[in-house]
Amino acid sequence: MGADLTKIKEQALADFAEFINPMKVRTMKAAGLDIIEQRRDGASVWDVTGKKYLDCQTGSGIMNVGRHNREIVQKLKEALDTYDIGVFLLCSKQKADLAKKLAEVTPGDLKCTIFGVGGGEANDAAIKIARGYTMKTKIIYAERAYHGHTGFALSAIGRAAYKAPFEPLMPGFEMVPFGDIEAMRRAVTDDTAAIILETIQGEGGIHIPPDDYLPAVRKLCDENETLLILDEIQTGLARTGKMFACEHWGVVPDVMTVAKSLGGGLYPISATIFKEEIQDFFVPHPFIHLSTFGGSDLGCIVGLAAIEYLEKHNLADHAEKMGARFRAGFDRLLQDFPSLLLEVRQKGLMMGLQYTNESIGPRMTKKMADRSVIAVYTGNDPSICRLMPPLVITPDEVDVVLNALEDSMKELSKEAGLGKND
Amino acid sequence: MATSQETLEALADYQVQCNDNKRLRKMQRDWSKLLHFVADDTGDRFTMNVVKGEIVSFEAGVSGTPDIVVTASSEDLCDMFWGDLNPSQKYLQGEIRVKASQEDIIRLDAITMIIWPDV
Repeated sequence: MGADLTKIKEQALADFAEFINPMKVRTMKAAGLDIIEQRRDGASVWDVTGKKYLDCQTGSGIMNVGRHNREIVQKLKEALDTYDIGVFLLCSKQKADLAKKLAEVTPGDLKCTIFGVGGGEANDAAIKIARGYTMKTKIIYAERAYHGHTGFALSAIGRAAYKAPFEPLMPGFEMVPFGDIEAMRRAVTDDTAAIILETIQGEGGIHIPPDDYLPAVRKLCDENETLLILDEIQTGLARTGKMFACEHWGVVPDVMTVAKSLGGGLYPISATIFKEEIQDFFVPHPFIHLSTFGGSDLGCIVGLAAIEYLEKHNLADHAEKMGARFRAGFDRLLQDFPSLLLEVRQKGLMMGLQYTNESIGPRMTKKMADRSVIAVYTGNDPSICRLMPPLVITPDEVDVVLNALEDSMKELSKEAGLGKND
Repeated sequence: MATSQETLEALADYQVQCNDNKRLRKMQRDWSKLLHFVADDTGDRFTMNVVKGEIVSFEAGVSGTPDIVVTASSEDLCDMFWGDLNPSQKYLQGEIRVKASQEDIIRLDAITMIIWPDV
């Protein structure tokens, strides 16, 4: 039986390499992450061969409610008995129900929603809204930013390597350092339609802004009739210990984007949520931004169920508590491995380990995989390990991750290539 | 341990393998980089110049400001140039160290995959 399962895995990897992406398979194999997911439950996933892993990557935060959440699976199963994705041209009760719920759980006076399928699409819509509503053109974004790989969103990514092969991109975008309010002030002009920021930068390496930054950006936007777009795609839906990370700083954006965990790990859906006054742009243009699959009836049922699950199980508080447990362990690691671990950046269960050099991230990824924990370095900076486990992670599972980190660091300490110049 | 001359011979083989591979040349045509290779057991250093995917030159010693610095034992360097080892695996074991962007590190491994798919 074991041999058969191994064969199934090998064939899947071979087919993936042949028909999808050979270099991805090669890279995953080298990193010990050539996992073919089979069973999924809570914070865990089982490879098709039966090997269990603790998932601290979760598709960069898709699984806040846990892997294959049974309550939400049941809701989706029931929905499938009656519904399909729906016809996007028509009005929909399911869309209306989720939009109403989003208005309830988002901060301040955010109220109206455009649905999409993924995060990039949500940010595309946000930027379109900003230009359409303000009739201005300039978009300011941050260094190291990540907002997705689609058209407008790609233009707002703060990493040249993602953009270079596709130039020329959208005109009118300017990049500034994240967290530097003076640089932001210098960049804003009379023609600035929007500032788009991740509330906490995820892909860039879990960079948390100084406490006075986002309030100052909010004020700057107000003074210049510029919209503030906050991308809460990784930080939202209880990840940081609040329903949305901007609540840590008491800042309400004009437009907020939400995706990833809105789909409960089961059904792709994203949302661009904005203040009611911005709705005026759509009054004369009701069909100017459409998405065939965005906010499908099934997706909206799952999205509503995911939010209700977060509320019912108070997962924002749980994220805060489990985050504190992680933090105590990180503090020990900082003391014990100063040559490897430079800093920890964290809000709730959005956690970044800053290693001392860029080779450590990939090497720790491999060592953690060897210890059955999926913990991967960030795409924008391999010197940083991003940990974003499901919010349902238990105290015992937190300890498993911490023990794996400690054992991996012990092993790594004995190897070559750990100097700052390696 | 490999001598400087052996490493240069391995580099010459690598140059032929890369430059004669049409698929690789096409794939790498947007890639121009100056690479330094450092053998940490012998102290030998080498420079390789890649222009639009073609290895136009290599030499003993280092010159210019490198985009990529690869450090390994002289034997691992030779094995890498001969396609006798998987660079990614060695990198993740800390036995090959690379100072470069993540994209360039993947590119180096992609070269091996194209020339020696079974490595």
